[in-house]
Amino acid sequence: MSSATWRNVFTYNKYAQIAARALRQSLKENERVAAEKRGVTILRYQQWENGQGGQQVYLNPPEETNPKKSAAV
Amino acid sequence: MSALRLLSSAARRAPAAFATGRRGYADVADKLKLSLVLPHQALFTSADVVQVNIPAATGDMGILANHVPSIEALRPGVVEVLDSTNTSKKWFVSSGFATVHPNNKLTINAIEAAPLEDFSAEAVRANLAEAQKVAAGSGSEEDKMEARIELDLYEALQHALGR
Repeated sequence: MSSATWRNVFTYNKYAQIAARALRQSLKENERVAAEKRGVTILRYQQWENGQGGQQVYLNPPEETNPKKSAAV
Repeated sequence: MSALRLLSSAARRAPAAFATGRRGYADVADKLKLSLVLPHQALFTSADVVQVNIPAATGDMGILANHVPSIEALRPGVVEVLDSTNTSKKWFVSSGFATVHPNNKLTINAIEAAPLEDFSAEAVRANLAEAQKVAAGSGSEEDKMEARIELDLYEALQHALGR
């Protein structure tokens, strides 16, 4: 908290998340893998109108993963 | 004269709500009930401890039993817990709040915390160098501020691991 000027830019929540992420990245390898999962948040939302649900939209769309190469050649 | 002063200071030291009377100067009759909780894990749940040292943003503090109720924001640093057998356990916490409640309860909330053995010194060194580069670089104000926050944490972590 010594660089207290972050208050002009971030909320406390953002500050806490940044610090938590930094801590997770400093762990030893096996703990880090478990910890990184805790840092992931996924949000999907859906607009409802007249009892009908609309399209489910990701807040942050997941990145397209490349299709895995098959073992058989 | 000195005897009178000793008597009045002893009377001031005993809390008013303490009905059972005598309390030695050296020993601690009351225990602190510590709850050290993270969102994913409760490290302590109302455990009886003697002293907890916390890295408050306003400075390092030691909390004993019968502490005045207070709320302290924590900076990245080491929380040390001393139980009745005088063994000390340390966790590095990322940030959070320590709240002393009136009935001898201490609650520490943090998002992430881990014992010092779980950290890798090389990872900290690499992250520190990376954060220094971003903080001194030409990115946006937010990126630099983010790097500065991370820098604080890595420096505190290095200091904790170094000792």
